Amino acid sequence: MTEIHSGGCQCGALRFKVKGPLGEASICHCRMCQKAFGSFYAPLVSVPASSRLVWTRGSLKHFQSSNHASRGFCAECGTPLTYEAPDGIALAIGSFDDPSQIPPGIQFGVEAKLPYTDRMGQIPERVTEDDMEAAPFLASLVSFQHPDHDTDTWPPVRTGANDNE
Amino acid sequence: MAGDVQKLSGGCQCGAVRYKVTGEVGHPHLCHCRMCQKASGNFFLPLIGAAKKDFEWTRGEPAWFHSSKPVRRGFCGTCGTPLAFDTVGDDHIAFTHGSLDDVAAVTPVEQSGVEGRVPFYGHLFELSETRSNRDDLPGGIADISTTNNQHPDHDTDQWEVRGA
Repeated sequence: MTEIHSGGCQCGALRFKVKGPLGEASICHCRMCQKAFGSFYAPLVSVPASSRLVWTRGSLKHFQSSNHASRGFCAECGTPLTYEAPDGIALAIGSFDDPSQIPPGIQFGVEAKLPYTDRMGQIPERVTEDDMEAAPFLASLVSFQHPDHDTDTWPPVRTGANDNE
Repeated sequence: MAGDVQKLSGGCQCGAVRYKVTGEVGHPHLCHCRMCQKASGNFFLPLIGAAKKDFEWTRGEPAWFHSSKPVRRGFCGTCGTPLAFDTVGDDHIAFTHGSLDDVAAVTPVEQSGVEGRVPFYGHLFELSETRSNRDDLPGGIADISTTNNQHPDHDTDQWEVRGA
């Protein structure tokens, strides 16, 4: 049986499936990946030519970050989803429905690695429930995030995209 | 870092949205919760807090997605960069750490939402390291650096978005 890896953006307007094995998983610290993801690095997994990537709902918006590379994201909710270059396409690991199954094996772009990144596993930690006192709204929070599995239909309006209320 | 008075600027990758912070920034942290993960396509979302009175969008405005009723997330509608986490009605806003022009100026002090943390998180920093290298491209890495459409890591008086 062909292995299948599914994922999508936060709001669910875009969904994808990879049919077949995933390729190399990495984190890239380069400044372009940092700024594109608003983070310390981009976690990406390549899709080998022998596997098939299918967009099962919606289509990407692209930003050409250089003459060779383009980055795809959801225009409705902003989730960064792809890095596309002449050598192929890579998907943002955090957008997969189960990112825990895609451990990176290598770090790229380490010339831009932040001075504290390697220590980020050692700083104090809390679970979300610990924040109830500071953020009482958490107790009654109803998420508009698409669930971590495919759905037959998904209401496009209910999410409140671009809602400024 | 909390309590320090900072003058910080930042923005999205394409430069359509820029912001500045004047005043104290607080509680720089990484959130591993599943909502922050999926919003940013990443293992966690690094956020820094600021009073809304000290925070200003200096070019453009983000697009917003209500990820739940009380919370909306701001991103650049032109290039997608995740930019902000806003609890509606709060007098503080959180902005994404990686969108700062000088990311190293602030150091995170805490990890939150660790119930969602990926199991291999603590081992990422043991992985072998490689500098940026695009020898697979005809012009190599120089071809990227001379043609990149990313806004520079400082404010610009005028900016024409390229690559949109």
